[in-house]
Amino acid sequence: MTVTAQAVRRDAVKAPRRRGGGIAPPWLFAVPALLIYVLVVLYPAFSGAGSAFTDWSGVGAQRSFVGLDNFQQLFHDDQALGALRNTLLLTVAIVVVQNGIGLLLALGVHTGIKSRMVLRVIFFAPVVVSPVMVSFLWKYVYNPAPDAGLNAALGAIGLGGLRQDWLGNPSIALWSVAFTVIWQCAGYSMVIFLAGLEGVPAELHESAMVDGAGTVARFRHITWPLLAPAVTINLMLSTVGGLTLFTQIIAMTNGGPGYATDTLSTVLYKQAFVFGKFGYSTAVALVLAIFVAAVSFIQIGYLRSRETAA
Amino acid sequence: MALDRSVSRRRLLQLAGGATLAGALAACGGGNGSSSSGGPLKVIGAGSQEAGLRKALDDYKKAHSDFDFNLSFSPADQLQTALRAQLAAGNAPDLHAVYPGNGSAMSMVQLSKANLLTDLSSQSWTQKIPTGFKGAFQNDGKTFIFSPGTSVLGAIYNKKAFATAGVDVPTTWSELLSVCDKLKKKGIVPIALGAQTPWVTQLIDYALVPGTVYAKTPDFDDKMTAGTASFADSGWADAMDKYLELQKKGFFNDNPNGTTYEQATSMVGTGKAAMAVQVSAVLQAFRAASPTPDDLGMFPFPATDVAADNWIPGGVVVGIAASAKSKKAEEAKKFIEYCGQPEVVNAWAEAVACVPLYSDGDAKVDPVLKPFLPYLKDNKAVPFMDQRWPNAEVQPTHFAVVQELLGGKSTVPAALKKMDEAYRKSA
Repeated sequence: MTVTAQAVRRDAVKAPRRRGGGIAPPWLFAVPALLIYVLVVLYPAFSGAGSAFTDWSGVGAQRSFVGLDNFQQLFHDDQALGALRNTLLLTVAIVVVQNGIGLLLALGVHTGIKSRMVLRVIFFAPVVVSPVMVSFLWKYVYNPAPDAGLNAALGAIGLGGLRQDWLGNPSIALWSVAFTVIWQCAGYSMVIFLAGLEGVPAELHESAMVDGAGTVARFRHITWPLLAPAVTINLMLSTVGGLTLFTQIIAMTNGGPGYATDTLSTVLYKQAFVFGKFGYSTAVALVLAIFVAAVSFIQIGYLRSRETAA
Repeated sequence: MALDRSVSRRRLLQLAGGATLAGALAACGGGNGSSSSGGPLKVIGAGSQEAGLRKALDDYKKAHSDFDFNLSFSPADQLQTALRAQLAAGNAPDLHAVYPGNGSAMSMVQLSKANLLTDLSSQSWTQKIPTGFKGAFQNDGKTFIFSPGTSVLGAIYNKKAFATAGVDVPTTWSELLSVCDKLKKKGIVPIALGAQTPWVTQLIDYALVPGTVYAKTPDFDDKMTAGTASFADSGWADAMDKYLELQKKGFFNDNPNGTTYEQATSMVGTGKAAMAVQVSAVLQAFRAASPTPDDLGMFPFPATDVAADNWIPGGVVVGIAASAKSKKAEEAKKFIEYCGQPEVVNAWAEAVACVPLYSDGDAKVDPVLKPFLPYLKDNKAVPFMDQRWPNAEVQPTHFAVVQELLGGKSTVPAALKKMDEAYRKSA
């Protein structure tokens, strides 16, 4: 079966490429877009990056050059290091669980069951809701009172012993936030996996069935290898999303209780707009951007090589 | 499709280039950091001051036909961020909320140091600012904000709940514990605490510290500034121990770290809880949450067993200032001068349940605040602690360490060490 799947991929690679004809590429068409990109993205990014080497408060014109002090402070800042740990834990949880659930949902609604179209809409519905609204909805669900939200539901089914202070207990608040993000975004992963599944040739499954392959063997040797591009996209998006998670945390816990749910994104926000340390905040932002870029680069390198191997 | 055929490539490029240039010019234009010059005066106030500020603006507009304003409000947490972002971007409103003294990123000292506030020192009302409160209004001898008066901090309580448990208002710490015990035995939550809302976490400490710190060491802030005192080696430790004692004895609602300010307010308003430690500026919110607003009262929260040592926290409430970058700074200053008139100060203070900054005769004070007036008269009121803190990091650190303490993730010495570290950071 693996041989068959690889043959299909090889065919795709060998597809004739479109070669340049006699007409030169219309580069002038790109100028407006490039200008906008330079003005809106590159210029603010590079001019802002300079603040990381100053002690600017974020308001007024007073600022002094402080060299690498902000970066040195960052690597000795317990709050920032705790936030880095939280960021990594959240990212791992989101990447693994969200994509796992997304894949299961996609496999489920890719079958011939009658309600599959309705189920697809239901599973995807949370994605189109604003993250702030979802956060406030779940804040209500996580109400710590025994007669409200999730705690009331647990009590109603005889699991009152599992009631928790979901957002107020420093030991579980981070996982409560992670669950909310997964609940909202699993449908997004599902759609991407579903697109990948739609591209798997049915004849491969039919011939494998004729050869006597079971469901698990067909998934392992046909579906999974051919899903590689969808896996790459999903892992990339969820990793970047996890590393830069902000909205749900600010809306649900504001980084608390204490520092239990602070991430690098919330730390840089608080440093800039609560503590009035724009220079230090920019240093955190720069490190975060480099970190996300590095992780993404390594990840996409590995996943692309896996796609080629498949 | 029709466009593709009827417009030549050259023409399309010209159009695109023109649009880009227009966009670029628009993006670069108006970047001198000043606020709008036409239209109404743009005002952003603190949510807790809405009733007073709105009335002052409405009355001023009635008296000045050429005056108009565009008013919006932000809750406390958003003031620190949204308004500061506007200041950073150079599009501050003409008139906006500013916290008195120092200690937060939106405080008078921090913003005046950045030359973002208009100097109000030439206005006559500034001469009437009581000496003890000048630090809240002035930096380097110049006045930068107007505030209608002082808010006191104590326990907002439900009289019916107290009557149900057969208890009276406590005047000492031991009496408070006894009252809480009786309330708890009656099935009433003694103290509602919505510590998920960050600013609420500080209030019990603020209520206790005047008794445990300032009654014995009135110059504690000066000693902190000089580096001869610290949070860890002061009565702050006693205050935090007492805070945790209330929790350990079960006198708070379950899961205070998961409970919001709004939920705690509702608990007191409906009598499910007997009291909440709060600032008088939010009395209106508690009244709105109660079916019988007249059943709500307020008393000084006792910190010690020596009645004479039970001082109160009484701080200048959130003020307003004119943006130094505003093209309507003169118009904004005229409005502030109007606010400084005694009758306007009184009306504003009455609307937000605070004690007027000054008055010509007998000021109208919300009857609920009367138990606090003798403390103010006897100079037993201490400004809210953060107003003398040197940077914007101590207060959020205080919020965080209290949540950690309530969550059992820290100890009092560790919490105070973090606050000391934040205090010693540069402004």
